[in-house]
Amino acid sequence: MPNDRFDWHADIRARVAPARLDPQDEADVIEEVAQHLEAQFADLAPTIGAGAARARLLAQLQGPELDDALARRRRRARPTRSRTWSVTSLARDVRYAVRSLQRSPGTVIAGTAALALGIGLTAVMYSIIYGMLIKGLPFDRADRIAIVYYADPAHEDDQIPLADFVRYTQQQRTLSTLGGYSLGSANIAGGERPERVTAIRVTSGTLEVTGARAILGRTFTPNDNDPAAPPTAVLSYATWRDQFHSDSGAVGKAVRVDGTPRTIVGVMPDGFEFPRALTRLWLPIQTPTDTLRPGQGPGLTVVGRLRDDIEYDRAQAEFAALSHQIAKDRAPGTAERRAVVEPFIHGLVPGRVYAVFYTMLVAVMLVLLVACANVANLLLDRAVARTREIGIRTALGATRLAVVRQSLVEAGLLAALAAVVGTLIARLGIAVFNGVMLKSESYFWIDIRLHPQVLAFVLLMAVAASFVSGVLPALQSARLDVNTILKDESHAASSLRVGRLSRTIVAVEIALSSVMLLVAGFATKSMTNLRRLEPGFASADVYTARVSLASRDPVRQREFFEGLDRELTAMPGAKGAYLGSGFPGTGWGGARVAVEGRVYARPQDYPPARTLAVTPGFFSTFGVPVRRGRAITSADVLESTPVAVVSESFALQHFPKSDPIGHRIRLGAPPNEGEWLTIVGVVPTLFATSFAMHDVWPPEVLTAFWQERNLTFASIAVRGAPDVAAASPIRKVVTALDAETPVYATAPMTEVLAAPTFALRIFGTMFVIFGTVSLVLAAVGLYAVMAFSVSRRVRELGIRMALGASGGDVVRMVCRQGAKQIVIGIAPGFVAGAAVVRAARGALFGVAPNDPVVFAMVGGVLGVSALVACIIPAVRATRVDPLVALRTE
Amino acid sequence: MLTDELKKGSAEFLILSLLEAESRHGYELQKLIESRSDGVLTFNVASLYPLLYRMEERGWIVGRWVEKSGERRKRFYRLTPAGRTALDAQRESWKEFVTAINRVSGVRYA
Repeated sequence: MPNDRFDWHADIRARVAPARLDPQDEADVIEEVAQHLEAQFADLAPTIGAGAARARLLAQLQGPELDDALARRRRRARPTRSRTWSVTSLARDVRYAVRSLQRSPGTVIAGTAALALGIGLTAVMYSIIYGMLIKGLPFDRADRIAIVYYADPAHEDDQIPLADFVRYTQQQRTLSTLGGYSLGSANIAGGERPERVTAIRVTSGTLEVTGARAILGRTFTPNDNDPAAPPTAVLSYATWRDQFHSDSGAVGKAVRVDGTPRTIVGVMPDGFEFPRALTRLWLPIQTPTDTLRPGQGPGLTVVGRLRDDIEYDRAQAEFAALSHQIAKDRAPGTAERRAVVEPFIHGLVPGRVYAVFYTMLVAVMLVLLVACANVANLLLDRAVARTREIGIRTALGATRLAVVRQSLVEAGLLAALAAVVGTLIARLGIAVFNGVMLKSESYFWIDIRLHPQVLAFVLLMAVAASFVSGVLPALQSARLDVNTILKDESHAASSLRVGRLSRTIVAVEIALSSVMLLVAGFATKSMTNLRRLEPGFASADVYTARVSLASRDPVRQREFFEGLDRELTAMPGAKGAYLGSGFPGTGWGGARVAVEGRVYARPQDYPPARTLAVTPGFFSTFGVPVRRGRAITSADVLESTPVAVVSESFALQHFPKSDPIGHRIRLGAPPNEGEWLTIVGVVPTLFATSFAMHDVWPPEVLTAFWQERNLTFASIAVRGAPDVAAASPIRKVVTALDAETPVYATAPMTEVLAAPTFALRIFGTMFVIFGTVSLVLAAVGLYAVMAFSVSRRVRELGIRMALGASGGDVVRMVCRQGAKQIVIGIAPGFVAGAAVVRAARGALFGVAPNDPVVFAMVGGVLGVSALVACIIPAVRATRVDPLVALRTE
Repeated sequence: MLTDELKKGSAEFLILSLLEAESRHGYELQKLIESRSDGVLTFNVASLYPLLYRMEERGWIVGRWVEKSGERRKRFYRLTPAGRTALDAQRESWKEFVTAINRVSGVRYA
């Protein structure tokens, strides 16, 4: 029955069309009515004939009731439709994204891992910056705590002399409390065992600036600063607990500080540390100020609390004006200095620390950017695979916004997962960082944790990351031309365009990684140079400590140190014992030097040298040989001719053509010249760290410790087996000689040597981590792009191989394409990286900022890993059977 | 032959009754009404669907596309709880109406 196949759809559509229903609704109505008519026709046609049946049904279809029904349906459909769009569409997008991501776990794992690494590293860096520079002091309204100092680019000293401080206290009106302090240390005795502790000399008002109160007794009053007042002290909680067994009656009792009894007037609360970590004691400054003129007196760091209605610029203006006035009354010859008022942390932390940390934050954000680029590429890849689907959705009426949103939602889901994993990574990183920092003395207010602000930052980073990695694929999908896609069987057009975009992304990734790797390379080379350095002295099996004598009696002092030297040397198993003004490597003093017979016009014309006063045990303890002449011996005592042993670097600089032995030199420039010293020997140049690490082989002068007039303090070193060269045997010897003298700063010599390079090692290691992570990400990204590009070209490669190209040809061709991107990425990366390294050259050690070896090595590492990323997909492509390849669409 | 007015008033009642036991599609409803009323009550596409759409709008019935294996998908209508309430109410008033008519007109069934 041919009539069975009457198609009613067209007739019904013509009838329904004027009602302009929602397309979906219209389709439903047409289908339902068509089925009805078909069925009715099938029943009717056999009895009245096909023609009549069709005519009757068509007539029925024209019934007027249908118009009302359709009109009502249209009114109803509209609001329903828009509600669906606005309320549930996001949930639908999320559901859809979850489903579609579930189908490709590879994308999820790779994308999440990349973003999590990026977010985790960024969070670690930000939590460090937040805990150190942003969060502020742990005091009430800490942002009002100001620091006042003298800014003068020509001077290093930025402290305010006591006399000036007194003037400021009398005249300023913008700070409600003002105090000054100087850092120092002191010996405490009277408790469990003598201790050398950080002790801060303060004026009254210093502790009040923090707003903290004493838990027992009181803090200092101006009366305590009176030179005639009985000496007092305020204890930290730890000192009170450890030395006084938390005695609630400690106030009023005496504590021996540097041999002098002082009355305890107060105890500060647990955890209170100001203005330095590990402060155990506060002592009042009792220097007489009556006779001081501005510019005179010990230098103080001045702190204050802003009055409630005053802002920093007002206080700054007042102090600048006051400093100008005070300068007029200064002792002649002292330069004018300008006072600066700043928030405490900002004023105390050197600008370069801010620079280093923010540079590192930028660096980790670049790592995150590399991770985003990877995810963008992954999503692009998916977008291409789904080109047809998107084309069909667009053809069916999905708006561009809907398509864009879908892609952003996918990126957002990945970023959300990554934020969770990244937070865990951050926790771990923070724990490691805090563990490392414990070993170094740092700012007292540092509190590095996952603060809510850090979590908010993580969230912000995740949102930014999902936007950055989602927006490119999104725009790419939305830009697709529907007609091209639906006609384009092989996806060739779309993948070509997308391919260009992902290749650009990969080039950017490689550029960023090469910047990071260059920095990491230079840091590593600096660290290796430091480690490989032959310091000229032995540090293995050497254990160090320090003692500082309370007694001011020169005879007793000398007796003590001579006894100490004797006892240490006699310790069974000791292969050498040393007393001196410091340790080689890190403990050099500095002085201007004059060679007899030469003329120096101005004080600054006297050449500098590093100095160390040593006992005869220096040479055996540190294994330092004597090249010419003799060492310092036990015969070089106070009564004999003052002698010096100089380094080869010193000899070379001052006696290039003659033998220095027998010549006389003098330490110190006028008006502080020392005695003439006769050079008796020459030793090899010894390693000497300096802050900037520029000259680690300076001219050096060793003098005789026993020829020092004043002996209050000594660095000790003992060489021997680990059970001999250790803290407790040394402490036992010292306590036997004087029970009140504490032994402190006990550490193996290797640790002492490592300390100055601590920062370099930490930041170097962090850059190595950043560089490695970004290299891995970039390599993975390149791999993905190459694999993608190869998969799109399977057919082409198959044809080439069918026509006789060998596997090698194909690999070479694919690699050539990859190599181009590597070069395009590395070139700008090296230019930028070289600029960064040049800017940070102060932190380099033993390597020039343009060292070609580092550049070559970084280039090599990048090139090799990038090539591996290319070769794997290329080789895989050659394994494809040409027949299969040709059939691939 | 019933008048149009009467037919319109009772049509919804009939459809609700037919959907009480099971869900049915449009043509099935039309044929059932026609056969059970021995051709006294007739519908066509133009009169049936406006009725169904209106009842669906009121929430008495719900139309769903149902796919059965090997068949074209068809739109089946089923009664909603609201439709059941409406059916009960109409049954009640219909009973009262018929009783009243009977009393007044004296019509008796054999």
